[in-house]
Amino acid sequence: MIEVKKLRKVYPGGIAAVKGIDFDVAPGEVFGLLGPNGAGKSTTIGMLTTTIRPTSGSARLAGFDVATEPLQARAVSSVVFQDSVVDRSLTGRRNLELHARLWGVEEREATAHIEELASTLGLSDLVGRPVATLSGGERRRLEIARALVSRPGVLFLDEPTVGLDPRIRAELLDVIAGLRARMDTTILVTTHYLDEAERLCDRIAIIHSGKIVALDTPDKLRAQLGNELVELRANGNSADVLASLRARGIARDDAFTVGSTLTVPLHDLTGSAAISAVHELGLATDISTRRPTLDDVYLRLTGDRLAAAA
Amino acid sequence: MSASSAVATLAQRRFQLTVRTPRELLVPLLTPIMFALVIAPALKTALHTATSYEGFVAIGTVGLLIPLNTMFAGIGVIVDRREGAQRELLAAPIARGLLVFGNLLVALAITALQVAVLIAAARARGIHFDASTTGVLWFVGAVALFTIGMYGVAEILASRVPKQEEYIARVPAIAILPWFLAGSLFPITALPNALTWVARFLPLTHGLALMRYGLLGDDSGLHNIWGMSSAAGMAALSLAVTGLFAAALTAASIRVFTRSAVA
Repeated sequence: MIEVKKLRKVYPGGIAAVKGIDFDVAPGEVFGLLGPNGAGKSTTIGMLTTTIRPTSGSARLAGFDVATEPLQARAVSSVVFQDSVVDRSLTGRRNLELHARLWGVEEREATAHIEELASTLGLSDLVGRPVATLSGGERRRLEIARALVSRPGVLFLDEPTVGLDPRIRAELLDVIAGLRARMDTTILVTTHYLDEAERLCDRIAIIHSGKIVALDTPDKLRAQLGNELVELRANGNSADVLASLRARGIARDDAFTVGSTLTVPLHDLTGSAAISAVHELGLATDISTRRPTLDDVYLRLTGDRLAAAA
Repeated sequence: MSASSAVATLAQRRFQLTVRTPRELLVPLLTPIMFALVIAPALKTALHTATSYEGFVAIGTVGLLIPLNTMFAGIGVIVDRREGAQRELLAAPIARGLLVFGNLLVALAITALQVAVLIAAARARGIHFDASTTGVLWFVGAVALFTIGMYGVAEILASRVPKQEEYIARVPAIAILPWFLAGSLFPITALPNALTWVARFLPLTHGLALMRYGLLGDDSGLHNIWGMSSAAGMAALSLAVTGLFAAALTAASIRVFTRSAVA
């Protein structure tokens, strides 16, 4: 449904935002682009929605090339942008109707679908009000309804929960997760929230500095680090401590440091054996074991704490 | 979706947004009405000019109303961009140039309404217009083409200027300065010779001369530009100049908008 090949974007001034990425998204799949701000997620979405011109490479939506067949590509897709794009002085319903008309939906079909979406997204009592009077969460739900009015084959969700308070964010994640059950739309979601990616996505591409550094299912990405890892705080230089752990066979190449914290995936070692070995060396404190998370995968691949960078 | 129904949808949206901000409708009207109904009669008395001077100035104020109104309409483009709605429109499966046409249609309709109000107010104040059907057509043609051209200027400026404040700061230079040079309050021949020549190249000078020819039967403005004997010939030439201005600025505005909208 989405085919991206060697897609690249260099902005004026030579800033390479996206450096030749490749991925495919199957029909009905929910695909996540995970990375911090500045990683190239929004530029990628911009190229797929034809608001940013690719420097080279190609991208197709439902077989339509975004560069040479932009109208057809836009006709089969819809976007929920990071920021609000609805007209605030118009009512919610009027915004939905305008979107339906611009996407060429027949009036009768649009009316029926708007009612259905309003009901599904809990907007039935709200769509008659001017958008300016809606709360942040209500407005985000309206944005999602707007994007779905045209029954898009491809739905782009660009950081759909950014800036929302935790309760509204949880509500919205429920709504998005619920869409999967009701629609067969292919969804590409960008986010820098790991829990969001893990909950919503069938597959995740981790994008860093314009490159895809990993692409797989959340389980397989986590499995790269085994079933268990040790986290510890280094006494002294963390690179030296890591070198010592590697020299003694406690850590392998996939161990990494962030500041004074070392994360050591355990492969053949048990957690208790690893902790004892580290204690004996006297190089670290605050030693604990836990299961790997997507955060660990990201940190290993990028050497950067995602949440802090976002 | 056909281009015509896309433009109709876009125009409907713009119209609905515009009527929710009455200042966009009322503010551009205030200054011209003040000129037509208060200042022109006062000038007539102070300068001991003929009654026809009021009619001369009433048409002159149309030349102020159109630039002010179209420049105000351009603010909507900046608001769309800053509040995010433009992103939705750019993601729609329609040619992006149509967005400019949707806005232009509403600017034209509102300008037509305001010009009609201005002329009606002038007539109510006792100003006489002796227009024939042909004369009205010259007038309408000049108003429409000059409005289209000025909306092109507004759209270009709105596409290139990031902030509303910066846009507003440029309005006097674009909407008001040419008005003083284009024969709005006095014939261009009253200007110093060099400025008379400058005035002959201003689209507004041609537009006002055409409007006066159409609605007052006064071809002196056209004669001051062209110096020919055939009034209809001069009117046709000025209409061509105004049409060229409209076509060039519309084409340029579509180009600037589509280029600025895509990174």
